[in-house]
Amino acid sequence: MTAVNSGSGTPPVIAGRRVVLDNVSQRYTTDRGDTVHAVSDTSITVESGEFVCIVGPSGCGKSTLMDMLAGFLTPTQGTVTIGGEQVTGPGQDRGVVFQQPNLYPWLSVRKNVELGSKFRKIPASVRHDEAERYLKMVGLEQFMDRKPYELSGGMQQRCQIARVLANDPEIILMDEPFGALDALTRERMQVELLQIWRKRKKTVFFITHSVEEAIFLGTRVVVMSARPGRIILDEAINISDENGSPLGAELRSAPEFVRLRDKVSTAIYEAQGVTGMSPAQH
Amino acid sequence: MSTVAITAPDDKKRISTPGIKPKNRARTAGLRRTAVGLAVFAAFLLMWWGVTAAGLIKPLFLPSPGAVWDAAVQANSCRPVAAGAERLVCGEQNYFMWEHLIASLQRIGAGVGMAIVFGVVLGFIMGTIKPINTVIEPYLNFLRSLPPLGYIGLLIVWFGIGDVSKIWLLFLAAFPPVAMATISGVSGIRQDRIHAAQSLGASRWQVLTNVILPSSLSEIFSGIRIAVGFAWTTVVAAELNNGIPGIGGLAYISGTQLQTPLTIACIIVIGIAAIALDVLIKNLGRLLVPWHGKA
Repeated sequence: MTAVNSGSGTPPVIAGRRVVLDNVSQRYTTDRGDTVHAVSDTSITVESGEFVCIVGPSGCGKSTLMDMLAGFLTPTQGTVTIGGEQVTGPGQDRGVVFQQPNLYPWLSVRKNVELGSKFRKIPASVRHDEAERYLKMVGLEQFMDRKPYELSGGMQQRCQIARVLANDPEIILMDEPFGALDALTRERMQVELLQIWRKRKKTVFFITHSVEEAIFLGTRVVVMSARPGRIILDEAINISDENGSPLGAELRSAPEFVRLRDKVSTAIYEAQGVTGMSPAQH
Repeated sequence: MSTVAITAPDDKKRISTPGIKPKNRARTAGLRRTAVGLAVFAAFLLMWWGVTAAGLIKPLFLPSPGAVWDAAVQANSCRPVAAGAERLVCGEQNYFMWEHLIASLQRIGAGVGMAIVFGVVLGFIMGTIKPINTVIEPYLNFLRSLPPLGYIGLLIVWFGIGDVSKIWLLFLAAFPPVAMATISGVSGIRQDRIHAAQSLGASRWQVLTNVILPSSLSEIFSGIRIAVGFAWTTVVAAELNNGIPGIGGLAYISGTQLQTPLTIACIIVIGIAAIALDVLIKNLGRLLVPWHGKA
């Protein structure tokens, strides 16, 4: 009785599951009959608790990769496995933050955040408190009883993030979640996200257009090439400090940050260059 | 100042009252609209009265407004069978006009009510399961394009001359628009909305009840409005045979008996009832779907 759980009040760390994309491709046929290779022969292994940022030119299959992880799309080749189990559809273990807020206008802000718990039939009082906690975290406690359409775009997006976090997924998939936010809110959300990630040890996949955001947030930055989307750079990041200070001038001018930014930017530039040249080669 | 020269008198008036608060201005505009509406209506009545009073058209073809009013009053009251007789005769065809109206409303209620239940369920099935949609859609379109008068005889053979065949007719006329609207509502939902719920752990049933149903409510309501409109246009056809009591039946029978004032009174009652019901459903839809057009 005494030997187990000596001392600290922190719960035992449960070994999370490893995410493996094994030689995954996604191609589809357009209405005009053209075959598009959105993602081609991509393999990546992500350990539990990693924060993976995915960057690359528009239309490089970042979102397609995310859709396959979420289970919205089945790869046309290869497999996506989580802890050895193949992904066959969407599930509560993978929370998705979309580019659009995707809130339900017939539910109040609070009810939107409670929705995941409601699906799992968690008692109303419990999910009530949980929702409130996460809404406070994203600074929407005064708007809990409003309808989503009464909120600004940035607030709606924060509500969506609260909804996903309150559902306590093991893996969080975020597709340019901060793209629509103003600079200040964006910085705040970045810091909040890092704190949650540190506290809860979630695995995060984060798509962004901003190289700086990727380096600031990620433990790993993955650069994808233009179509067919492939991983052309997979870089471990080791600079963000424990306090999770926002993307200040100090961090931005740190030599390691500058080196990584240049490296990632160059990779993206080269990725775009390939598409720029391909028509001439035909 | 060249602007003065081109300012219309009406504009001058507006410029001269800048102190009016917006709320008052809205009320003034509303009053003006009502006044214009009443004026047009009065002009219409006056023209109708003028044409009939001048004897330009025989009363059989177009009775005067007064005659129509008298017919409506008579249809809602009791009177002696003959001058000086003891026995009273009430309303028309043994029912007051409002009883005729209630009878028709009950049929419409039953037919459209069934159409809503069946149409929404069928619309959901067709909207969510593609193969079923492909198979059933042509039949739905076929039924939709049939004029109800064309198959009322068949329904009477099948279901008899009573209310059952009438309700069937109203149901068949009303359910295709409900089903079509539901299909369009269900298939018009953004994929992300469904994906978001699935990623929150929703089962198929939970997605249906928590996302698809509320998302398509607005379209379902417009379908119901169209269906009720169809039901009104069909109710006369439904009540052609053995349609008493029934406002459509009364309109038809009075026409065949050359009681044109009563026919016109019935038509006016049908029109007003239809508009009132439409306003009711529209407001109910606004109440239940307050987010329409906002998200």
